[in-house]
Amino acid sequence: MKLPLSWLTSMVDVDLPVDELVDVMSLNGLEVEAVTFPGAGADGIRTAQVVHWEPHPDADKLRVVRVTADGGDGEIELVCGAANFAVGDVVAHALPGGHVPGVTGPDGGKGLTLSSRRIRGVTSHGMLASARELELGDDHAGILVLPGDTPLGASLTDLLPIGEPVVEVAVQADRGDHLSVLGVARDLAAILDTTWHAPEVPAPVAGPTIPVTIATDGCERFVTWALEDVTVQPSPLWLAQRLVQCGMRPIDLVVDVTNYVMLELGQPLHAFDLASLRGPSLTVRTSTGGETLTTLDDQVRELQAGDLVIDDAQRPISLAGVMGGLDTEVTTSTTRVLLEAAVWDPRAIRRTSRRLGLVSEASSRFERRVDPEGADRAVARAAQLLVELGSARAVGTDRVDADPTPDWTRPARITLDPARVRALLDLDLDARAQCALLTRSGCAVSPADGDRLVVTAPTWRGDLSRPADLAEEIARLHGYDAIPTTLPTVDVTGGLTPTQRLERQARALALAGGFHEAVTRPFVGEDALVGVAPSAGRVVLSNPLAKDASAMRPSLLEGLLQALRRNVGQGRAGTALAEFGRIFRPVGDPLASALDEVIAGDWRWRDPEGDELPVQPRALGLAAQGLRIGPDWLDADDRWSVEDVLAVFDQVAARLAPPDDPSWRLARVPTERDGLHPGRTAVLELHGHEVGIVGQLHPSEADRRDLPEPVVIGELLLEPFLAAVPDDGHAPVPALALVKHPALTVDVALVAEDRVPYAELEAAAREGAGDLLDGLWWFDEYRGAQVGEGRRSVAIRLRLQSPDRQLTDTDAEQVIEAVAAAADRVGAALRR
Amino acid sequence: MTDLDTLAQEALAAVAAADDLEHLDEVRVRFTGKRSALTGVQKAMRDLDPDERRARGQALNAFRSAFQAAFEARREALGSAALATRLEAERLDLTLPPRRLPPGRPHLLTQVEQEMVDVFVGMGYQVAEGPEAEAGSYNFDLLNIESDHPARQEMDTIYVDGFDDVVLRTHTSPVQARVMTRQAPPIAVVCPGRTYRADAVDATHSPVFSQVEGLVVDEGVTMGDLRGTLLAFSRAMFGHERRIRLRPSFFPFTEPSAEVDVSFEGAAGHHGWLEILGAGMVDPNVLTACGIDPERYTGFAFGIGIERVAMLRHGVADIRDLYEADARFLARF
Repeated sequence: MKLPLSWLTSMVDVDLPVDELVDVMSLNGLEVEAVTFPGAGADGIRTAQVVHWEPHPDADKLRVVRVTADGGDGEIELVCGAANFAVGDVVAHALPGGHVPGVTGPDGGKGLTLSSRRIRGVTSHGMLASARELELGDDHAGILVLPGDTPLGASLTDLLPIGEPVVEVAVQADRGDHLSVLGVARDLAAILDTTWHAPEVPAPVAGPTIPVTIATDGCERFVTWALEDVTVQPSPLWLAQRLVQCGMRPIDLVVDVTNYVMLELGQPLHAFDLASLRGPSLTVRTSTGGETLTTLDDQVRELQAGDLVIDDAQRPISLAGVMGGLDTEVTTSTTRVLLEAAVWDPRAIRRTSRRLGLVSEASSRFERRVDPEGADRAVARAAQLLVELGSARAVGTDRVDADPTPDWTRPARITLDPARVRALLDLDLDARAQCALLTRSGCAVSPADGDRLVVTAPTWRGDLSRPADLAEEIARLHGYDAIPTTLPTVDVTGGLTPTQRLERQARALALAGGFHEAVTRPFVGEDALVGVAPSAGRVVLSNPLAKDASAMRPSLLEGLLQALRRNVGQGRAGTALAEFGRIFRPVGDPLASALDEVIAGDWRWRDPEGDELPVQPRALGLAAQGLRIGPDWLDADDRWSVEDVLAVFDQVAARLAPPDDPSWRLARVPTERDGLHPGRTAVLELHGHEVGIVGQLHPSEADRRDLPEPVVIGELLLEPFLAAVPDDGHAPVPALALVKHPALTVDVALVAEDRVPYAELEAAAREGAGDLLDGLWWFDEYRGAQVGEGRRSVAIRLRLQSPDRQLTDTDAEQVIEAVAAAADRVGAALRR
Repeated sequence: MTDLDTLAQEALAAVAAADDLEHLDEVRVRFTGKRSALTGVQKAMRDLDPDERRARGQALNAFRSAFQAAFEARREALGSAALATRLEAERLDLTLPPRRLPPGRPHLLTQVEQEMVDVFVGMGYQVAEGPEAEAGSYNFDLLNIESDHPARQEMDTIYVDGFDDVVLRTHTSPVQARVMTRQAPPIAVVCPGRTYRADAVDATHSPVFSQVEGLVVDEGVTMGDLRGTLLAFSRAMFGHERRIRLRPSFFPFTEPSAEVDVSFEGAAGHHGWLEILGAGMVDPNVLTACGIDPERYTGFAFGIGIERVAMLRHGVADIRDLYEADARFLARF
């Protein structure tokens, strides 16, 4: 809501510099978004009369004009490009040396300071200004022609508050009363503890008007004034200026007056051309659907059952509270006008406005609730202005009220306990002080039983209906700054849960592997690489922001791969990214079944009725491409490998899993997946079920994405690990006695067919070493003549130790034989 | 001059001339080893008469100790010279940049979120989480946002297809509703997480953003407690000299409600206020909807945008930088 300062201060007694006023407003519930000064800088512009004009001798579209200000300085000649004036018209003459704010200056900046200059051989002493050039409106089709009774030789800035501050207030959803100058003035008066005044309006006129029937719920009051002898003409400049300052466009006097009164008092009005009404009466009714109405914006609207309409006994003529009909609109030939102001149910207006996607100045006020007692005043005010400015004659007024009065208009009676307010706000305000503050807001306050108060809110404050609302009102008017600063003493033991602590550790581990943490937007399009437990299931959005963001990510991989691409585009030789976040699949997706297999409890998110929400487990995604080492090490040719991804996942899984429980070790099962290298992809299994995947991007997929190879990716579900953490955390890790006997190192080489995975060879070695095994790692892989075609030898080093004795060669020999026997069972032979 | 004197002179000269430890050892063997001239002198002593033998013995001992002293001195000199040579040879230019350590960095949003969460954990809060695709009832209904309330429209909600009323949560307040419907007061939680609005991407808007919301419900919780809590938070995040101010505002889920500004001191004495969060006393309708008796309990709630805090603190000018995963940005923080 934009508030010209002169208008605002005409209704409230306030005398503060603008910056102080803005602070007071913002700190007490009238948030100021901006202060503008339309027309600021206008100078040296005075009214003058056109004495003579003739076509420019050397330019078709220019006129040479002589004007006089009647101030004894004679006639002044100038050149003008407009053609909308005649001899005798009063115009705005910007003199040489004067400043015109709405023109782009020679340096491209705002505003132009004039000087006399020759235009095609004729010296122009200043210019005649248009409304836009003076920032008095958008009109630039011609110059500003002022009313004939405008005094000559007057400075325009003395006639109009050009350049005055216009304060823009952000209107809160519950404060519809701030959508008018009166409403803001009233609140400002409450804040400053001063007085406000609405314009004095004429009393109703007894006489003929059109009979009105309210035939539906949703309309509480319908007030009409019939006017005759109306002259539809342009509005006076002061009125037009205020509309422009408030962001509206002047049209003609009748329309402008309805808008002016709406801005002034907050009550939307409508003016019908009385002559265009077909029936003898008006009915407020609910549409049953199937009707159409052409609204003022020249759109044919299909009405639906439930829409509120005004009917002239033959057809709907207005979409109630939203927009009037085109057929009954006031035109230049109109002389008889029916002014209407009604009070509509906010919910009904909201519904119709939403459905039609039609938000008007009227609907945005009605849906926030207008003052039910404001309709009479508003329509009388409009009639008053039309009588004053348009020589109209009021012939009759009428008012119809719904019977009984609907609930939504009744002011609430609230029982207030001042002690509770004092406790809630921690403000030392007794009942008397609270009463005084509420009275400032227009509340009627009276004592009730005990120390309680009964508070009746003023009719314009629909937001005050409960003690909590009054508490805010009291705090707001007293000032939030008076509230002390204390800390609550709440008997709660704070802190991260064991799960939350583990999550942080997992993150730190993944990043320690060299991956930077990325946060990507979790939307995907149709074509996204799917990671763990792949499925075609998508959580699709009803109103996506873009086609390539039509669904929630089913996997972290797509976002990471796109991020890699952006980094490649920046010319980076290598990038490694990690993302922690939720992935999304529909209810019943295979991913849900996979989670059921590895999580004992109910991991699903549900609504209050117990129905399932989309599957959205937490996961860790990794993606890396190109060089491991930064470009400042030019000699390094160390590239990211799928093994780096595996290493991180092993670490993360080991950290999250219950200590010393080998069943939580991730098993790697070679697999083939779309988009991934068939020989470099493995599923990660927990308890025999897929919880992760690692792989290198298939060369053709990397090519399709314009990513230089190698590109490695991985995704691991964290949910199974996190869900398994007991409320009080995993059992503490037990310390192991540090064995003092030295360890014995034994190397074994196992030869097997190439297709026998290392995992089986390692298992054989573990089995053979039995309880003596302290550690194990592979250190060589050999293919060649010595082991035969299609076979390989893998060398594994075993570290053996016993807590109670020194191991001997005999122990080593026994382990070797046991490894040989175990290897034999997986089709491998010990190489001796 | 006896032959021993000559020998001694030669030996000491040889010690002095040895230019490394290897040479020096050769000198030792040559003059005092089993086959050295000294051995000959010793053997020849057997043929001397006792007086001469005693005199020769003393001379011999003198020679031995003189040699030994010269030898040790020379060995020490040569040893420190060798060490000095080695140390010189091993000199590294440590102003050359080292091969970089591999660790990646946590995202700025993670760092700021954890810092914010830790401030509240330090004040005794627990941390609660919830789903991002959330039931409309938790996101709106239980928070006093009725279906036709203008505030619900203003939230620019993104809806999930195929459900009656599932949305991408517009704030992390639904987590507060989940906590309140499951847990009796006293409650003190913060709820960090990702949130969504149907905003087109530009320098100041993102359809994805993050919040830390907080909720305290107990008997006797006051608006002073809210103000004190937010002051403590602001000082922890922005500096101990900061002040805050509360401005009246409207949120459906709080009453009274406030926008909260934190003070800043800029260059050249320029100072002012920056809006950082919204807060208020929990609306009685919210407590009732979540099964908590508003006659007995009061509470406060607040919501802080992590992006806003991160951008203010670190001077990030474009919110898109937070979501583009440009490695230069990620490695910076």
